[in-house]
This record gives sequence, C-alpha cells and structure tokens, in this order.
Amino acid sequence: MAALDAPTSPRTSGDEPKRRAGTKPARPPVRKITWRAKLRRDRSLLLMTLPGVVLLVLFAYVPMLGNVMAWEKFSPYRGFLGGPWVGFDNFLRVFDNPLFLNAVQNTLAITVFQLVLYFPVPIFLALLLNSVVSPRIRTTIQSIVYLPHFFSWVLVVAVFQQLFGGAGLLSQTLRGLGQQPVDIMTNPDTFLLLVTSQSIWKDAGWGVIIFLAALSTVDPAQYEAAVMDGANRWRRMWHITLPALRPVIILLLILRLGDALTVGFEQLLLQRDMVGAQVSEVIDTYVYFQGVQFGDWGFAAAAGLMKGVVSLILVLGANKLAHVFGEAGVYKRS
Amino acid sequence: MNTTTQLGQVGEIAVQRRSFLGMVAAGAAVVGVPSLLTACSSGEAGVTAEPGATAGTDVLPTYKEIVFAEPDFPSVNGSTAGYASIPADLVQSVEEPPGKGTEFTAMTPLWGTPPPVKGNKYYDAVNAALGSTITFNIADGNDYGTVLATALSAADDLPDWVCVPTWNVPPRFASEVVPNVFQDLTDFLAGDKVLKYPNLANIPTAAWQWSSFNGRLYGLPFPGEVINDVIFYRKDILDGLGITPDVKSADDLLALLKEINNPSAGVYAAADLWNTSTIMHGVVPKWKLVDGKLLHRVETEEYRRSLEWNAEVWAAGLVHPDIDTAWNKELFESGKLLVMNDGIGGWHEALGRQLGTNPSYSQQPLPPFGADGGDPVYYKGQPANIFSFLKKSDDPERIEELLGIANLLAAPFGTTEFDLVNNGVEGVHFTRGADGLPVPTELAPTELQPTYMFLVAPPVVNAKVQYPGFVEASSTFTADAAQYTEEPLFYGVQISEPDEYASIGQPFVDLEKDISRGRKSIDDLDAAVETWRQSGGDQLREFYQGILEA
Amino acid sequence: MTATENSLTNPAIVLEPPAGSRRRPRKSKHRPAWEEPPTVGGAIAKFAALALVVLAVLGPLYTIVLTSLSPQSVISEAGGMVLVPGEITFAAYQQLLDGGVVFRSVVVSIGVTAVGTLISTVVSVLAAFGLSRTDSFLHRPILFVFLITMFFGAGLIPTYLWVSQLGLIDSYWALILPGAISAFNVLILRNFFMGIDASITDAARIDGAGDWRVLGSIVLPMSRAVVAVVALFYGVGYWNAFFNAMLYLRDSAKWPLQMVLRAYVLRGQPPQGTTGTVIELGAGGAVPSLAAKMAVMVLALVPILIVYPFVQRHFTKGVIFGAIKG
Repeated sequence: MAALDAPTSPRTSGDEPKRRAGTKPARPPVRKITWRAKLRRDRSLLLMTLPGVVLLVLFAYVPMLGNVMAWEKFSPYRGFLGGPWVGFDNFLRVFDNPLFLNAVQNTLAITVFQLVLYFPVPIFLALLLNSVVSPRIRTTIQSIVYLPHFFSWVLVVAVFQQLFGGAGLLSQTLRGLGQQPVDIMTNPDTFLLLVTSQSIWKDAGWGVIIFLAALSTVDPAQYEAAVMDGANRWRRMWHITLPALRPVIILLLILRLGDALTVGFEQLLLQRDMVGAQVSEVIDTYVYFQGVQFGDWGFAAAAGLMKGVVSLILVLGANKLAHVFGEAGVYKRS
Repeated sequence: MNTTTQLGQVGEIAVQRRSFLGMVAAGAAVVGVPSLLTACSSGEAGVTAEPGATAGTDVLPTYKEIVFAEPDFPSVNGSTAGYASIPADLVQSVEEPPGKGTEFTAMTPLWGTPPPVKGNKYYDAVNAALGSTITFNIADGNDYGTVLATALSAADDLPDWVCVPTWNVPPRFASEVVPNVFQDLTDFLAGDKVLKYPNLANIPTAAWQWSSFNGRLYGLPFPGEVINDVIFYRKDILDGLGITPDVKSADDLLALLKEINNPSAGVYAAADLWNTSTIMHGVVPKWKLVDGKLLHRVETEEYRRSLEWNAEVWAAGLVHPDIDTAWNKELFESGKLLVMNDGIGGWHEALGRQLGTNPSYSQQPLPPFGADGGDPVYYKGQPANIFSFLKKSDDPERIEELLGIANLLAAPFGTTEFDLVNNGVEGVHFTRGADGLPVPTELAPTELQPTYMFLVAPPVVNAKVQYPGFVEASSTFTADAAQYTEEPLFYGVQISEPDEYASIGQPFVDLEKDISRGRKSIDDLDAAVETWRQSGGDQLREFYQGILEA
Repeated sequence: MTATENSLTNPAIVLEPPAGSRRRPRKSKHRPAWEEPPTVGGAIAKFAALALVVLAVLGPLYTIVLTSLSPQSVISEAGGMVLVPGEITFAAYQQLLDGGVVFRSVVVSIGVTAVGTLISTVVSVLAAFGLSRTDSFLHRPILFVFLITMFFGAGLIPTYLWVSQLGLIDSYWALILPGAISAFNVLILRNFFMGIDASITDAARIDGAGDWRVLGSIVLPMSRAVVAVVALFYGVGYWNAFFNAMLYLRDSAKWPLQMVLRAYVLRGQPPQGTTGTVIELGAGGAVPSLAAKMAVMVLALVPILIVYPFVQRHFTKGVIFGAIKG
C-alpha cells in the first residue's frame, strides 16, 4: 500500500536530503539476508502483530468462512456445508435485475460527489482551525464542530427537513414573502448535493481530528526557518503544512476509494420515500430490499463478496496510481 | 471512510421506513425489522413442502366460549367487545397454580425499557400465581426480527418459550424452523383435549387455524382484531372551523381536504392517505377471484384507482411535507395535519398523551364509506398478530406444565388472573379509582412492562373507561364497520410461498410512493405489472390457483 | 483563507513571547514572533467562515436542547422542534433517569468502553508498529491479513453461531472482542509511525535499543496525538455500539446505555403493520414525547462532552521536538 508508507518524514527539515521511503539507513536493504536471520532480527515486530492477528483470525476470518453460503441455498439447519449447492446462481441473481444497474450508477455518482465535495472539507477546516491564533478560541470551536457526528442520521435528516423541507423554515419564509415555496428535500435533481451537504454537516467536523493530529507533528521551527528564508504564509503552507498532511490525505483517499461501493445505507434508506428509489437506490439498499429482508443469506453473501473484490481491486489500483505519482509503495523495494 | 459497514453488517440493518422520528437513537445506526409494510406486498416469506396445507378439524382445538363479564357493547360480526365500566367482582378462573416450581426461560419483544429482574414484585407475583418461574430474555421490539432470526439459527441455545410476531416470521419458517425447533402441540390441544385448558378453548378457531403450520398445530396465538385501519380527523379543530364532515365518497373526502388545507399557516389537510385510499376503494390484501381466476392486487382496477386518487391528493398539495421525517402522530396531535390514517389502537394512545394537557382534544373516525358512494369493504385483519412457540421437548409433562401456564395467562377480561397480568399487584402497581379503574402507581412503569402477554393472550376487549365516551365511540365505530367486513381469499391460512418469488412484489412498494407523489405516472403501473408477471408473478398465480383448487 | 499563519504546536514558543522579539506589530500574545499579522480581508474571511461553521452546529443543537426542556404544551404549539423558548421543564430528564435503569447501564457502558478501548488501542499500536517496517519478515502477508478484513466481512448468522460456540453469549466480552481490531485504525497508526524521521529511531538502535524500547521510549512519546485520536475512535465506537449487545446479551440487566436509550426512544412505537391494536403497552408503555427523544440525544452527548477536552489536549499539543532532537 503506497499510502501506507510515508514518502518523506514531515519532520525532516528542508535542508536534509530527501530519502526514499522504505529504506532505513541503519538497516541497509541487505539483499542476501537469509529468512532465518530476518526472522531473528524481526521477532519482536512479529510478536507485536501477533495479538492483532489472533483476534482477527478468531473473530473475522473464522466467521468469514461462512461466506461459502454464497454458493448454496443456505439454511442454518443444514449447516454451512449442507448445500444444496447452486453454483454461481446467487451471484447472477445480484446482476439479474433491471434495478441493479440503476443502483450501481447512483452509488458511483454519490461516491464521486463525496470525493470531490466532501473529502477536501475536513482538510480545509483543519487548516482554517490551525490558523486561529488564540488557543482558547481554537479549542472551543474544535469542540463544537465535531458534535453532529454523534447525532443519528434520523436526526440529521430531520434537521435538514426542518430547514429545507416543504414546510420548513426556508419555504415558510418564501411563503411569507409571497414567493413560491421550494422543497429541496424531495427534489430528485438536487439529491446528490443534498446528501453530500448532510454528510458534510454530520461528519466533516469529526474528520478534522485526524488532520489536526497530523498538523501537530509539524515542528514550528520549520516555519520560523522558512520565514527567515522569506517565505510568505502561502509558501509556508505549500511547502511545510501540506507535505505534513500528505501521507494521511493519501491514505484516507485510497481507503475511501476502497469504500466506493458503500455509501450511507441508513441515510439513503431514510430519504428513499421522499425522493424515490430512482435516485436513492444504492447497492446496499438494493441488496437489502432484494435479498436480506427475505432472509436470503446466500444472496447477501454473494453481493458482499463481489463488493469486497471490487473494493480490493480499487484499493490496489489506487495504490499503484499513487506509486506512479512518486509515492513509494510496499511493493517497490530498492 | 468507515469500512466497518460491510454488506454483511449493513444488510442486516433494517430501518423501518415509516416511523421516522421514532428512531432517533443516540448517535447510533438504527436497526429495525423488516416491517409488515413491506412484508404485505410479498406475502409470508418461506417455503414449505406442503404449500398451504390447512389444518383439518381434527387438528384444531374445540372452541368453547367463556364469559366472565358481560360486555356493554357486545361484539358484532367479530368486532371488539367494549366495557363501559370495570366489573366490580373479579372471578378467579384457575384454581391451583399450574406450575410445578420449574424454571423456564422465555424470549419476548418489548417496546419499552426493560424492567429489573431481581426484586421485581410484578414478576414475583405472577410467577407465584403460575407456580413456576419464567425468566424473560427481553429484546427490543424494533430489533426483534434480527434477534429472532439469529437466535433461531442456534436451536440449542433457544429459550423454552419463544414469541414470534407475524411481522417477524423469518423465511422458511414453516418448512425449516418450525419442525426443527418447536414442539408440535396437536396431540396436546386438538379437538376436546383443549378443554383441559378452558381459557385456551376460549380462543377463536380462526386464531388456532392461523397458528397451524404444515397441517399441524404449533403456535399459541395472540388474537387480533377485525377492524384495524381507521381514518381519523381532528374533531375539535374542525368544530372550531365550523366544519362537520359528511364524507360519503372519495370526492367528498377530497373536497373536505381541500377545504381545510392551509399551508401558509403551517396546517395541512392530511398525512399520506394511501391506506385510506385502498380501504375505500376496496383493494384486496393480496388476491382477488374474478370468474374463477386469480388476480393479484396490483392487477386490479381498485388498486389503480386508489393510486390515482392518492396521487390527486398529493398533487393538490394537501399532504404535510414532513410526514417522512416527523412522527405523523406528533403532527396530527399538534394540529399541523388534520386527517390521518391510523390503527384503532392509536386512538386511546393519543387520548392518553393529549387529554392531560389539552382536555378539549378530540379525534374521531370518519364513518365507513366507499369511494363511489356505495358500501366499503373492510378485509378482515389476521386472526392473530403474534404467536408463541414452545421449544421441542421429549418430556410431555414439561409441555403440559407450560400449557397449564399458558391457560392461566390466557384468562379473559373479568378474571383476577387478567387483572394481575395486566395491572400488577393492587396497592403496589395500582390503586383502584372510584370507578373501579386501576390507577398505576409510580412503581408501575418501572416494574410492570408487558412480557407475559406476549406469550399468549385472551380475545381482545376494549375497556379504556378512563377516557370519557371513548369505549362507546370506539365500539360503535367498529361494530358499524364490521358489517362491511369480508374475509380475503386464503384468510387465516399459513401459506409459504416459494422463495424465488419473495422479492418480486418489492418494486410496488416504491412505485406506490412514486406514483402517489407524482414522480411517476399511472402509466408506469402497466409496465411494472408486466415485469411482475414475467419475473414470477404468473407462476405465483399458478401456485395459489393450485391451492385454491386443491 | 489564511491557513498557515501559525501552527501553534510548541507551547514553549507559543506561550512565552520571545524576549527582544524582532517585531511586534500586533499585540496578540499567542502569535509567534516570526509570523506576520493577517491582512484585514483575510481576518474577516476567516472569521466569517468559522462563524458559519459554528452556527451551523449550534443552531440545531439549540433547538434540540430547547425541545428536550420543553413541556408537551410548548411542543404541540410549535408543532415539533421548539425554536422559541417557552416554559422550561426537566421532566423529560427526570422521567429518563427514574428507576435506575439508565444509571446501571451507564456503569456497564463505561466499563465496556474503558476495557475495550484499552485492549483495542494497545493491540492496534503494537500491530501498527510491528508493520511499520516494509522490509521486515512476512511484512506483506501480515499487512494483508489486516487489509482483507476491511473488504470482506462475515455474515450475521455465521458470526452469531461462532460467538455462541465460543460461549460468549451473555458475556461482556461479546461486546468487545468481535470488533476489537479496526484495520483502518491500524493503518492510520502505521502511517504516522512510518512518518517519524528514521534517523531518530536509527540512532537509538545504534545505541543498542531493541524494537520494544524504540516503540516505548521514542515512537510512542512522539505519537501521542495519533494514539489519542485512535483511542478516541475506538472509545466512541464502543460507546455508541449496540448491535452486538442486541445480538449477544440475553439478560437485559447487562444492557449498555445505548440499548437502553434506544429502547426508551422506541418504546410505545407500535409494531409496523399491526396498527398497534394488539399490543397492550401496559403502564410503562406510554409513548415518549418529542422532549424525551431529544433528551435522549442530549444525554448521549454528555459523556462525549466530558471526555473530549482531555483527549483533545493530546492531539493539539503536539510533540516536544527539542527533547528528542537534542
């Protein structure tokens, strides 16, 4: 995973020569090292990953074996290997429906909108907050903006309805002015913008946190040095602040791509009646309505597996792409 | 960026689409259950080896009515009996505690906060009357479908007694779950054997029929009511406007709605009246027999007309825009919308909420009418909405003990047992008011939550005498409406459709919304029906035709 | 937007105005000496943007809190959320906290959150550090063990059957172990660990420090911010979780807060489709008012409001560079 490897340390001051990521000077990549020697050298590291691996094997991988039901007409009373086996029927059924294509289109449209409009917001917000000089004001604002994250989607949608619905504040104001009321909540044409705004309102403040953590790793001495060199604030942002954020931005971007097929199930389900399935049906809701609510476990498992494969491909692809753009990756050892 | 919502997880999270603000749950995803709302359009999911096998008369328990208190408003055509006062003398219907000191577990839903188990005087008192202890595994009612579906997959860990609401019936229930997991009660209750349990014999036959699967008796029913859907209007507000509704047809209703609609004041005429529309147009719940051939409801002329009418209501701007996000009842009770469709049980609940702060609050049902000015058709509600099942046991005595307990819990209105189960212990959970009406104490909401009543219940009665005039109004209305009741085809028979047709009715749930709200035109209905026929609708028709001719 | 006027990460620099500073055009005591003052336009734009953000949150929050404090009559008057304060009452909160059920569940939630967060954070930090060197033994396969779990999940039934087989039904461990490790959080930690200047850790290694020492005395102190953030992510996750509790806890006395609050909010909601007739809700089944629903929202925020400032301190203070770079 390219992004998983920080290309350059944010703390490396500018005058140091840039180092390729993944290379450790004190441990030059010794090519001929035997695996035994490597094992001996890295046994502590292996030991450290052990608890995590054990937990995942126990609680993620063992139950994951149950996905064999994607190839059968599953019943718990026949057991996981009890069949009857139906080949790829469950997979075909996922595609074999005119509604499916529509769901894929909507899913991708929402993902693209969120990537373009939502994704940068927490970054801007973090930079904005970071620029506030008074620590008191800054921490106060910070501890307000994350709060909507803790509201349920039900409440978020209700809040939007109160403001922008047909009987909401905006409409009533327009009526008061003798204008035609507008009902933004039920307009399928602007639905993409609506769901994106809802996501921004709910989660952008929370998303700031991770970037603030990244910003906290910047050594102020770097700014001071830059000022001495005559860099103005824009240049300092470009050359110091953004590079500090870059690794985490790229990591989050790649992981978001891996989630491209997963968009707000609950958020969309709640607004389905208001705007109609035509624009609000996404892959998850489709699978839910076509399979899960009828206890069609095989169907759900098949859909889940396909989504997983696509997500994995997307992440590996994005990783390669990052690679092309000069971010070093795990696969490129020199 | 949240990758924990893999399909495997998301899939099981079902959100009730109808109750919206009701789901305001603290910062958490909302889990509900696949609701009847959707289940209606698809029938009971599942498959069985003997599709639609009906239980023969040799399987069904003998019906023997017992009356401990004469109702003031007797049942008419199956309508709910009403009591204008609480009987002064209660009868003890079961003499000896039926239990033998056994410890049982039971799983029930609860729409409330779970009561404490230790030191709960209500549990202690009921268990003492039972002679055995029932420990409840309570699951939140709105999550019950998910909890039940998972719990049933591990049959060994299942409690002794399991409540299964009809809207939570998992797929392949009749074919796989029932025979694998639950006790066949036929040999204990069939025919006159039930007379050993007189309170169970008091449960109407239709409810037992509906509790039979694959021709055998498995479930203990919680009887339902004949009339469920009611069109309510705010009488107090309409009185204030000087309007006395005289609605005899669909056009009358539309005219009334237009008259009372006032959006600039924030007051709208109605909530979504889709249910109302289907009732007054006489849309069948599922199948209609025309010249010996089955027509699915979506193929009927009535269905089309009720869609058209509802679309007209929406197009005229008569529906409150917030009905999807706000709780309809909240809007109705605060006078922001004036006509809505609700269950009849919603009536006294609203009175309970409102009369305290607003004594002049009044909601009334519109008397029954047909869309064309003729008689309406009320299709009977299911004979039972909730079942319970006993876990399989090799020990007949254990089953008999549980049935004895069920007999006590099914004691009808007018008995000490009914009083105990519903109101708790006098002096602890309630005190008697002047009219004999139990008044809950402060302890009641904490300890007395409905749990036993989800296992088995006597026929429903209406005795909400605390709301002046309510019992009479309600009983009169239901008796009036009950004269128009008809049994739908396949009434009260458990039919498990083949799996592959489970989801073909699903598009109509969306289509009803799309057409009503003007996003699609009525012409789209034809295409949808055509798709339905081709994706299995015609086979489904043959399946049912086969049952009909069998 | 003037974004990088100040990074304010080093308290030593921030809090003491340097003696004999080079220039001091404005009197802000927090502005580092080297930083130029903002332009008027920039300051106005910044203020407007921040004010907008804060108002967008506080506005709705205000109506939520106000509604939770309003009696039914005021809510009926408003027809929903209350905007104009009328009579104020704490009845909704009183009703909610009566009976001790909420209190008991708070204790459960705090316990589960504390233990769960500790386990998750420790295991994740170890795993992230163990994976922070791309040339280590089995690095890539182990990395994939974590990654795969982000894309492929297990179904509900298999998970339930397995957890029940492990004997965790009705055990608090069922609320912690199945979701203890989030690969996402491990990757975030790993990303930060890898960003640490290699020359620092290498120097320690040359001095003979093992991997455990490097993690404990160099990497962790430098990564307080991200560890705090990840702990916060885990903590919030445990605090908000109810799905596992719903599946695995039979005994309602063990319910965590979110389950109780959900039950409370949803209580008296007639089951869909039955139109409510059949369910005699009993004395305790009174449908909660809108005020009660909003009170639940507010109540669920309180613990977050209490804990957040302590966590925030860690990810805004940053690292003490001088001490390490020496």
